[in-house]
Amino acid sequence: MPAVQGPLRVLLYVLGGAGLASLAAGLTGAWSSPVGAGLALLGAEYAVFFAAGPSGVDLWTPLYAAGFLLTAELAYWSLEPRVPAWAEAAVLVRRLAVLLACCAGAAAVAAAMIVAAGASVGGGLGLELVGIVAAVGALMLVAAVARIGGLLR
Amino acid sequence: MHAYPGLAALGLIAALALGRPELAALAAPFAVLAAAALALAREPRLRVSLDADAERRVEGGEVELSLELRSEESVERLTALVSMPDGLEADENPVVTHLRGGDVFEHELRVRCARWGGYQLGEVIVRADDLLGFLSYEESFDRRRPLKVYPAAEPLASVLRPLETQVFTGNQVARVRAEGIEFADLRPYVAGDRVRKINWRVSARHGGALWVNQAHPERNSDVVLFLDTFVEARRGAVGTLDLAVRAAASLTAHYLREKDRVGLVSFGGVLNWLTVATGPVQVYRIVDSLLDSEIALSYVWKDIDVLPPRTLPPRALVIALSPLLDERATGALADLRARGFDLSVIEVSPLPFMDVGLEPLEQLAFRLFQLRRDALRSRYRSMGVPVVEWREGVPLRAAIEEVNAFRRHARVVRG
Repeated sequence: MPAVQGPLRVLLYVLGGAGLASLAAGLTGAWSSPVGAGLALLGAEYAVFFAAGPSGVDLWTPLYAAGFLLTAELAYWSLEPRVPAWAEAAVLVRRLAVLLACCAGAAAVAAAMIVAAGASVGGGLGLELVGIVAAVGALMLVAAVARIGGLLR
Repeated sequence: MHAYPGLAALGLIAALALGRPELAALAAPFAVLAAAALALAREPRLRVSLDADAERRVEGGEVELSLELRSEESVERLTALVSMPDGLEADENPVVTHLRGGDVFEHELRVRCARWGGYQLGEVIVRADDLLGFLSYEESFDRRRPLKVYPAAEPLASVLRPLETQVFTGNQVARVRAEGIEFADLRPYVAGDRVRKINWRVSARHGGALWVNQAHPERNSDVVLFLDTFVEARRGAVGTLDLAVRAAASLTAHYLREKDRVGLVSFGGVLNWLTVATGPVQVYRIVDSLLDSEIALSYVWKDIDVLPPRTLPPRALVIALSPLLDERATGALADLRARGFDLSVIEVSPLPFMDVGLEPLEQLAFRLFQLRRDALRSRYRSMGVPVVEWREGVPLRAAIEEVNAFRRHARVVRG
């Protein structure tokens, strides 16, 4: 944060505040849309930080990725229907274990991407193409999710 | 979690636009998670069975449900909810568990029967969540079975006795004099009297003139329970109809135990009746009929002419259970008395279910309401009809005794 100065610093505060407020509103009102918007705003804050911040690769990114996923998972977990369900303790333990494994996996994926980004792979056009393919793949994923929307919670 | 693919797409596009791999690294786990969840998605193919240990219970009793869940595929989190109608309560519902493919999960569910009524119990709603909590599969299974919850009957030491009995043998000492056990009076001997009926001690005291004993015979009686179902006063789970149904069940059980004949008239928006009969089967007939009792809103004017004649046999005791809120019911009761029926009214008080405002106008309205009710009670009493106020928490036998006290001193007025 000290690396960012001027109006962008204000923008960072605005995005971060708006993201947290949206997240809080979603959690207190049990609405999923503000939670998604809050996560997007926090991501946008992170993007602005890098757009105006240091040029070197941030080595803390895997930790951020794991923390970001943990925040999202816990937020959506808290939005699940709140019924006084009698749950076996083993189910809760399994869920926590899966959550921690997902966060560890997220950190590993992020670390792998940072390492790959640091490696010298030659020309920039190929890398751009890989990025475009990844973005298109993500959009196809959105379409796939929308298609099987009947199965989604 | 619909937002995960969107977040991943936004992150990747931002990474491309800004040329920062950190944003792609931040977004990638969301994309990987969503893709993995889609790849691992399997329909669980669930089988559900539900058994109950009883089809009939008395109010306050418990029914044990055995829920059995089986899945062909492994389910990370399986939530099963047995839908509970109002009036039934269950702990440990819904239940959440982890189920391996081919395994069977068994769960015992204790259902408390909080309110009388006829229920259909057994709609099971099952939800299966995948390992990553991304996809869920929901299905409803119809495993419904009937459950009848009978109103809890209050044990009664004594009940109202009709002024006149019927001709069949029963447990009630009739007012008339005939063959029986209970001593009634003495009278001079007339030709044809049985020798064993001669009271020798009295005859000796009367200088040789023979005197015979007279006795009261044991007869049964006809009792018609008149349930007013036009309107009720209700607060939450309890209302005047609930109290009236419980009282009717208590009275039915007692009278039938005494070999009397009991009938039922449910007089309201929907007319329902059972002609008088005796025996254990009649208990179930009446109680089953009581389970169907409900308040059906109707503006149709009804009087007792709509009742089939056999529902109100001559010399029957009619016990009305009514909150005395509807003019059609109060008018019908007055009509019954005018036609010479032996009528007693147990007024199921609506007052505990009413909220009286604090404003002077509301207080005034409430006082007027009470005055009108007092006037109605006076009108009934002037006709020789006992009206006793009964409310929740007061034993029914207290109301019965109050009616008996009235009838002990009141004169019968023939309409």
